Amino acid sequence: MFRWNKLGKIFDPTQIKDRSWMKEFAQAPCTLIFDKFVRVYFSCRPLPDENGQYVSYAAYVDMNRYDLSEIIDVAQNPILELGELGTFDEFGTYPISVIRKGKEVLAYYGGWTRCESVPFTVAIGAAVSHNGGKSFTKLGKGPILSSNVHDPFVLSGPKIRRFGDRWYLWYVVGTKWLANNGKPEAVYKIRMASSDDGLNWIRDGRDIIESRIEENECQASPDVFFYKNRYHMFFCYKYALDFRNNERGYRIGYAVSDDMVHWHRDDARAGIDISTEGWDDQSIAYPHVFELDNSIYMLYLGNQVGRFGFGLAKLEEYKP
Amino acid sequence: MKWKKLGKIFDPTDYKLADNCVEYAQSPQALIFDDFVRIYFSTREREQTGKYLSHVSFIDMTKDFREIINISTGTVIELGGLGCFDEHGIFPFNMLRDKDRVLAYTTGWNRKVSVSVDASIGLAISNDNGLTFQKIAEGPVLSSSLHEPFLVGDAFVALYGDTYHMWYIHGTKWARFTKDEAPDRVYKIAHATSNDGISWQREGRQIITDKLGPDECQALPTVIFLNDQYHMFFCYRRVDGFRKNRDRGYRIGYAFSDDFKNWIRNDDEAGIDVSEDDWDSDMLCYPHVFNCDGKIYMLYNGNEFGRFGFGLAVLEDDTN
Repeated sequence: MFRWNKLGKIFDPTQIKDRSWMKEFAQAPCTLIFDKFVRVYFSCRPLPDENGQYVSYAAYVDMNRYDLSEIIDVAQNPILELGELGTFDEFGTYPISVIRKGKEVLAYYGGWTRCESVPFTVAIGAAVSHNGGKSFTKLGKGPILSSNVHDPFVLSGPKIRRFGDRWYLWYVVGTKWLANNGKPEAVYKIRMASSDDGLNWIRDGRDIIESRIEENECQASPDVFFYKNRYHMFFCYKYALDFRNNERGYRIGYAVSDDMVHWHRDDARAGIDISTEGWDDQSIAYPHVFELDNSIYMLYLGNQVGRFGFGLAKLEEYKP
Repeated sequence: MKWKKLGKIFDPTDYKLADNCVEYAQSPQALIFDDFVRIYFSTREREQTGKYLSHVSFIDMTKDFREIINISTGTVIELGGLGCFDEHGIFPFNMLRDKDRVLAYTTGWNRKVSVSVDASIGLAISNDNGLTFQKIAEGPVLSSSLHEPFLVGDAFVALYGDTYHMWYIHGTKWARFTKDEAPDRVYKIAHATSNDGISWQREGRQIITDKLGPDECQALPTVIFLNDQYHMFFCYRRVDGFRKNRDRGYRIGYAFSDDFKNWIRNDDEAGIDVSEDDWDSDMLCYPHVFNCDGKIYMLYNGNEFGRFGFGLAVLEDDTN
């Protein structure tokens, strides 16, 4: 059982001025730790276009390492360009997950494009930074993980990790599109890929987290960390349809594994839920857990999937 | 090489076609039986919006190609479901006999918003001698990758020894070449190999040099082994203006190789060109070369990309 102490919202993109590309949303936070600050990556959006459609950009905010509520810096520009005409990431880069590799920082991200019969599809891209994660250059115009015989569409939500010499990528895959009276909604499930080099990935097409609330449960943000000799995954899940209704929106789930292959889901042990009132009283989503100076923290999104920012919780207690 | 044209052998507007199709018989490809030849092609259903869906159909012909003895009346292969890579059409359709089965490599089309389409290569199998095909998965066997960012299609697969070889194309660029016109795309011929026909290793380079500059479009490779060499026919055109302008439309190109690796392009040796004034006087495209009872034939499309059918030529002189 985990017990988290909520520390409140620590970043609100609507408070940031002078950045037309960062008006609202700060989604899917993930961290890169520096000596004096913690860089929190997220995806944000400018105002929607005349048709109400959004693009999303990857960005970061630097927080004081010794006071995670203090903002030291905010990215001046998107850290990753949107793709050119016809490419997989023409309309968005969300979510993003980063990892150090020697002096470089690698980023894996969901690239969004727009489709005719369904609103979008997503494939996973990769990029590299040579300046400590301030900006990234794509490894290619195309994705590093796209549709295959196991993963038909909507490959998104990458979370990159390295344990020992092996690279792991947890991500989500669309398993079906629900027609939903002409407003299609995707059903997506958590999967895992592994690699020797972070570039060539082996996939097996297995949904690694069983669905709990319904067959069409949507799962996202598979965030894995190693703690007390076990692999712990926090993720979020929701109903496939009518999820803007509070009762059907995102909640944070939990699973544990000894080998990263077999996962035991037990949401009751997640130890975090919506608040009775406040910025996270309707939904909580996109958890990211990290260790800093002997404490364990969770960043997560509140209402409207991070439209007004993300918050922080600190682990108070863990009982295996 | 020198080909003798035998004329147009099939006009889809002369027949009632399956799947509500009305026109087009594109990319004809042959599957040889003991006493007839089955020719698959992609034909089109027109949706109420005016957009097309490509469906696979076939005719059976006598081996002298003088008589059509059968035409498919049912669905040969279903299009993909909502959001799948082959939701809006399958074109072309390339067959390969593999023991008791017939494999078909499909190019599946799906419609986009900023550009018209994307494509990936799927695999389907027939256990009833090619009457119907079942896909091995909802997703494709070959799709976009880091350096082959979109429009992966036009597979031609052959078995040499124990290795499956695939020649195919991928997009390199989408751009608006003509003001006020929809974006056009550039694509090039590439090569991949496989031990099982499902999992492919890309060679990762353009194998046919450009004749019309970097924006040349190269499509539908077909390869045959003759006189101790591999011979490839394909079609190529200018990137824009190719629909209306005879001088910018598809022509048939040619290259040869001793080892699959180095291809020497020599279009002058293709041995076939547009007619002065006939069904194939504006363009020649989608060649498919095959051996039938010791003779080498080429199926191909003419004007309007095969809207009114396909024709046949027989090889008279095979020296290059």
